[in-house]
Amino acid sequence: MLTQAELVGLLAAVAKRDAAAFERLYEATRAKLYGVLLRILRRPELADEVMQETYFKVWTMADKFDPTVASPITWMVAMGRNRAIDIVRKKGEVSIEEEPEALDVAAETPTPLARREMTEELKRLLSCLGKLDPEKQRIVLLAYYSGWSRDQLAKKLDIPVNTIKTWLRRSLIEVRECMGV
Amino acid sequence: MYDEDQETLAAEYVLGTLSADERERAEALRSLDSGFEATVRQWERRLGELNVMVEAVEPPADVWDKIKTQIGPVETVAETDAPPEQELGSPAGAVAYFPPSIFEPDRSTTAETPAHAPAEPPPMPVAAAPEVGKVERSADVIYLARRVRRWQRAALGIGAIAALLALYVAVWQVAPERIPPQLRPPGAAMLAQTEGSAPMPQDRLVAVLQQEPTAPAFLLTLDTQHRTLIVRRISAKPETGKSYELWLISSRFPGPRSLGVVGSDEFTQRALPANYDADTLRTANFAVSLEPANGSPNGVPTGPVLFTGKAVESIPAPAPAKPTTPRT
Repeated sequence: MLTQAELVGLLAAVAKRDAAAFERLYEATRAKLYGVLLRILRRPELADEVMQETYFKVWTMADKFDPTVASPITWMVAMGRNRAIDIVRKKGEVSIEEEPEALDVAAETPTPLARREMTEELKRLLSCLGKLDPEKQRIVLLAYYSGWSRDQLAKKLDIPVNTIKTWLRRSLIEVRECMGV
Repeated sequence: MYDEDQETLAAEYVLGTLSADERERAEALRSLDSGFEATVRQWERRLGELNVMVEAVEPPADVWDKIKTQIGPVETVAETDAPPEQELGSPAGAVAYFPPSIFEPDRSTTAETPAHAPAEPPPMPVAAAPEVGKVERSADVIYLARRVRRWQRAALGIGAIAALLALYVAVWQVAPERIPPQLRPPGAAMLAQTEGSAPMPQDRLVAVLQQEPTAPAFLLTLDTQHRTLIVRRISAKPETGKSYELWLISSRFPGPRSLGVVGSDEFTQRALPANYDADTLRTANFAVSLEPANGSPNGVPTGPVLFTGKAVESIPAPAPAKPTTPRT
């Protein structure tokens, strides 16, 4: 398991076109990114495509990575997630998991880690999320992990879309206030 | 300056709950407003902690092979080879630079088809008649820049203006009725409706090729019905002794495919090669690399890949209804 500093170093080398560093970076990060994408896209061939696009962006934009603003994994996963959500949003009304080829996901949200496995920042985020009503918490987590739209959340939880929208806004503001700037 | 609307827009963008339209608007805002971009990055950092809890899943081995193919041959590049970056200079707490209406769906016509989108692209300067085209173009560009300055509320760097223009040009080329009337260049005739069929939404693809959201450098327009490709160079300049080459990258081909040298003039227009069908073009990545003066000597990128982008449909799918007459 590579440390943050090692990943930052690899990215800096990738910025200088170090192909070996890029391969090591891929080896260290591919499974996490693939796991994130599969949860949202539910189709291995789509996840494969977004993996390729994301790592291509990592290769071409490594010199733009600013370690003071993000961690390497956050940066890479954010790029991958963005693209994955673009894809599922454009698919429109048909929910991606209703497609026959869609994978089942064991649970919509991941099983909790032991506290010792969590980073400090994660503990803080979870404690702030914990201050929300359980239903609002659930909406935020389902949205993040499964990439569900407001419409899908409304349908699955049997709550009006406008309520979902209002709750999301309020929950996100509360989380921000709880975590400080 | 804390703007709750912007804060929640950024948060919902990162969370993923915005609709497709809202996402497009948020992405545009990222390119044009560095304050918004910073807010997005903050939310990515905050919510990104949740990634820790996602189970890792090993991808298939051939994903790496495909990534390696996309990257092509690798050589270490000295930093001086890269063209100068455009700085996005804007003061902290910058606000939106343009009336939000430019991106809002036109509510008065939601039930109607924007079917009078042009079947031909607006007159583009081609090799045959550069003089006339150039004069018109520079007049339009100057006009647009003046307009931009009039309604921006904070100083913008060149990069932001270029990005705004890229968006403006893209919208103007393919869906002029979406530009609010007061922003249309004066005297520019609304493009005449031709006898032929209006282009289907999937016929017109636009790609903004950029290094990062803040500095688009090439605008690519693909007309899959008329099989043309137009590349507009916006902010990047070719260096002496070097040229830019455009590549199509698709999982349907083993490696990047050259679409030729581009960008020596502001506009490059050529026919699309026959072996790329619309579906390939719609799903491909496009990239521009820096090559020797006449392009890559061996059919693959030899220089650094500087700008990348993906094509998107630039006309929304029409609702089944009668077309409106153009507003003037």
